[in-house]
Amino acid sequence: MRSPLIHRSPMPGLGLSMGITLTMLSLVVLLPIGALLLKGASFGAGNIWETVNRERIWAALFLSFRLSFFAALFNLVFGTLLAWVLVRYRFPGRRILDAAVDLPFALPTAVAGIALTALYAPNGPFGSLAAAVGWKIAYTQWGIFIALIFVGLPFVTRTVQPVVEEIEREVEEASATLGASRFHTLRRVILPMLMPAALTGFALSLARAVGEYGSVIFIAGNIPLKTEIAPLLIVIQLEEFNYDAAAAIGIAMLLISFAILLVINLIQVWSRRRIGYV
Amino acid sequence: MFVTTPLAGTPTAQQPIAAARRLTFLSGHSTLRGTLSALALALIGLGAAPAPVHAETLLNVSYDPTRELYREFNEVFAKWWTDQGNEAPTIEASHGGSGAQARAVIDGLEAQVVTLALASDIDKIAEAGKLPADWQSKLPHNSSPYTSTIVFLVREGNPKGLKDWGDLVNEGVEVITPNPKTSGGARWNYLAAWAWAEKNGQDPQEFVGKLFKNVPVLDSGARGATTTFAQRGIGDVLLAWENEAYLALKELGEDQFDIVVPSVSVLAEPPVALVEGNIKNDEQRKLADGYLNFLYSPEGQALAYKHFYRAWDDSAANPEDVARFPELELVGIDHFGGWSKAQPEHFGDGGIFDQIYVPK
Repeated sequence: MRSPLIHRSPMPGLGLSMGITLTMLSLVVLLPIGALLLKGASFGAGNIWETVNRERIWAALFLSFRLSFFAALFNLVFGTLLAWVLVRYRFPGRRILDAAVDLPFALPTAVAGIALTALYAPNGPFGSLAAAVGWKIAYTQWGIFIALIFVGLPFVTRTVQPVVEEIEREVEEASATLGASRFHTLRRVILPMLMPAALTGFALSLARAVGEYGSVIFIAGNIPLKTEIAPLLIVIQLEEFNYDAAAAIGIAMLLISFAILLVINLIQVWSRRRIGYV
Repeated sequence: MFVTTPLAGTPTAQQPIAAARRLTFLSGHSTLRGTLSALALALIGLGAAPAPVHAETLLNVSYDPTRELYREFNEVFAKWWTDQGNEAPTIEASHGGSGAQARAVIDGLEAQVVTLALASDIDKIAEAGKLPADWQSKLPHNSSPYTSTIVFLVREGNPKGLKDWGDLVNEGVEVITPNPKTSGGARWNYLAAWAWAEKNGQDPQEFVGKLFKNVPVLDSGARGATTTFAQRGIGDVLLAWENEAYLALKELGEDQFDIVVPSVSVLAEPPVALVEGNIKNDEQRKLADGYLNFLYSPEGQALAYKHFYRAWDDSAANPEDVARFPELELVGIDHFGGWSKAQPEHFGDGGIFDQIYVPK
């Protein structure tokens, strides 16, 4: 019975826990994605290409991925900064701020979308200020950008925070005693340590933003070729009972997301190898 | 040296990779047993879910703007039904976009009654085999107990002086309408504009194209568009269901908006139907039949008038509710060859509406 290939774990309970994990993973993740791919397979690669290869769909895909990328980039910088501030500084209201970071997770996205629209619409408190200088936010790509930042921010902050907590002061002190300037320490010592976590946060934030529908739909304006996001095109196809076309666009998004996440993973592997811990 | 400090807090990105690596070694029976026991657990969980079959329940799957109508109608009907010597029924109503609601029923939502915005949505349910193809002939007036039309809601005093469809394509006029691709009501908006252009000697396709060029925001549903216009202050005119427009006046204040009735509009007939495939027994059929027929009774019709629908029988209605509807020329869907022709021609993939947005 014992195959030399099977490496038995000395820890008890592996079989049961792995069984539960696999079952749950299959039910929750693998089956839906499998069903989507199966739908696509029955539709045929040629048909999928024909469905997707239209200017309006490319425009929407480009818009979704471009704005998601910029929103994730924004979150990468400011989410990391926020994590740093929350861990390193003590100030009144810190715990409240810390708890507030999770709000975008907890809030139904439709509520977030409506709240953001109310704030940034031309008659809202922020929107009216922007309108005074001729800047339209709600119902333009800026509005989408802001909504995507909102839903993605916690991912970066929450992945970077524990890493910042783990950085010991001695490390920075050692750097200083060896003659490094503050900026040099930050660039050569601290940022490399934060890099893998920050990239994970970036990837999560990007992935979330690409698929976001609920909050964006209220603030986007949804004008074809201008402010129409890819998930809305899927909904439109469903509205026409065109399940095949909806699956085709879904598969296109899945493939692009997969490619991007793969690249991010490769960068992570590279950065870990470069700075020494894998 | 310091860079090799192990970071316990490095997040979980590498864990799935490790799990996957371990997975490739696993083929032993312990995993199989684990999987089976987990599956068994899941099955027990599913099997334990109760499936109550109670005759006196009814689910009405409806579209968005009927929320207020059916809230009151369900109460009145339940009382009337009990007064007829029946057991008190449990009546539930679900509201959403008409197309999405139709899909939910096709995908298995157990609605005994559907009351949707477009006959084409109920046709889709019929195609899925849940009700007979000739459903629309089973009840009077093409199975539409009430009708509505499309009117303009403008800001108080009508500052841009919008009187008819022709004014909406003027430069600088912002028109708010939901997206005809996702909203049943918006299809009527589009068709009403089309009918006006035809009757006034304009090229309808060009006219509707110009109209939609004046739309700054395309919401996905009628309620969203009303919010954009009324709460966010976007646009000069909202193309709305007549009942939505009156409701907006009632809820948001008559001193903020005016209703403008154009010279030509559409006769929208939101149909109702009994979903044969979801009827469990005779008791439930009796209840569902009673429910739909009550919509046509004088009391039911009076309620429709009260909630700003143009109904058929005003014998029991409050005369005020009837008198507020002005006369105008109404064009039905037959004018466009019925939904089975109009839907693909205008709103299908690559149809006339899609061409509006194709850059030249």
